[in-house]
Amino acid sequence: MLARMERDGHLRHVKKTIRPEYITALCGKAPAALMCEAVEGYDIPVVGGLYWTRARTASALGWRESELGARFAAGVARPIAPETVSTGVCQEVVVTGDDVDLTALPIPFMHEKDGGPYISAGVAFADDPKLGPNAGCYRMMFRTQRELGIDLFTASDLRRYYQAAFDRNESLPIAVAVGVHVFEHMAAAYKAPAGLNEMQIAGGLRGEPLQMIRCKTVDIMVPAHSEIVLEGELLPTGWTVDEGPFGEFAGMQGDLKHNPLFRVSAITHRRNPIFYALQMPWENDWLNGPATEAACVRVLGLAGVQVSAVRATEGGCCGWSVVAAIKKRAGEGKNAIAALLSLPVVKQVIVTDDDINIYNSDEVEWAVTFRCQDDKDIVILSGMKGKHVDPSVRPWDLKPGELPTTSKFGIDATIPEGIPAFRYERIVPAFHADIRAEDYLS
Amino acid sequence: MSAAVDADLVAKIEDLLRQPVYFRDVLAMVRNQPYRAILRAWSDVRVRHALARDELGRYWLEK
Repeated sequence: MLARMERDGHLRHVKKTIRPEYITALCGKAPAALMCEAVEGYDIPVVGGLYWTRARTASALGWRESELGARFAAGVARPIAPETVSTGVCQEVVVTGDDVDLTALPIPFMHEKDGGPYISAGVAFADDPKLGPNAGCYRMMFRTQRELGIDLFTASDLRRYYQAAFDRNESLPIAVAVGVHVFEHMAAAYKAPAGLNEMQIAGGLRGEPLQMIRCKTVDIMVPAHSEIVLEGELLPTGWTVDEGPFGEFAGMQGDLKHNPLFRVSAITHRRNPIFYALQMPWENDWLNGPATEAACVRVLGLAGVQVSAVRATEGGCCGWSVVAAIKKRAGEGKNAIAALLSLPVVKQVIVTDDDINIYNSDEVEWAVTFRCQDDKDIVILSGMKGKHVDPSVRPWDLKPGELPTTSKFGIDATIPEGIPAFRYERIVPAFHADIRAEDYLS
Repeated sequence: MSAAVDADLVAKIEDLLRQPVYFRDVLAMVRNQPYRAILRAWSDVRVRHALARDELGRYWLEK
């Protein structure tokens, strides 16, 4: 994956020595993902920015940019069970007992108002005798040499597993892989249906079984190719330790929370591991972007709308704002809006005809400008399910346990009914097909 | 993997924590020290003290 990204021009190596707390700032200013080879005080390189843009995400996956949603949907539709192996590179080095020291890892301090250094790329693995194995993405704040705060504030499968263990006054064994292939990371970020192991989806995305290996100190399976694995347990202390603030996926500094404590019992890793520092917010958002696009295609299909392309935009954190191109029949511009706005996260939608290249924002704006009458073609829906992370819903005014509602809008930028298509005939330069730019400009 | 904690660094951090500070302020104050030594010292401070936090996320030592 990294070799392909480098070939595609999406990954650069930084030879100059850098301190861990500068890595996030550097990644944000760089035109490509960075492999920081010389991290001051560490012999472990740090990589960051891998999924910062649509192009980098596509390169990591080895897919075309336009097919992210379709390829993701195909992978989800054909899950492949993982296979168990007895040896794996993630256990080439095993550190246990008193030798466990999280400061040996270059865990970076990332954002000005963060509560501490963060493991941002952790994929947590857990198991439950009734519910089965589970994987998910959770941030972890460095507290001590053997302890991390883990964000289990919002509803998730791991939170459910932990709640059950907490109710029994028992610890929950988990393992956290830091540095897995994009297929596993994206599958873990996906909210898989109950009973479906996310690593089966990873197999579907890969097109072959993922190899998994049993941890050394806990009875949990992890991807055998992981760079670094932290083994341990979530203590039955409940939501009691301070965690955060952290720069959140929506691009805003989050709140201080109280969360469970992860005590690490072993660190296993490759002989020469790479520490992956996922950069907020775009890398986190792009892990969900293909799933959002796949969900859009699915609901448009259920609505009977023929969709040509869907784009989850970065400004909308790859989930809140969507542009869709459709082969429209009368009324389907509005039908598409209604279908897309029914998705829980999607808050704003633009629907165009399929002659518009929706990956070009200027073309989308052109369609909105000339194909939209604002009093007829902007749909506003009120009182829909909202998200606490959106300050515009004023979540601080809610009573405990009360869920926010939000308004949503869609713009029907398809050619209005009754206007013939020739009214939108585009300018074509004379002899356009006969001229090759490189013949004149090289 | 374990390594010794720098007692002077711990003392400096404890002194800084007499007033509410962000973690960034801790890093900024001791930036001439190796990052790993700072994290070890921070770990030691957290083990020894129950640090207070405010809603902004700042830390301080409760008296």
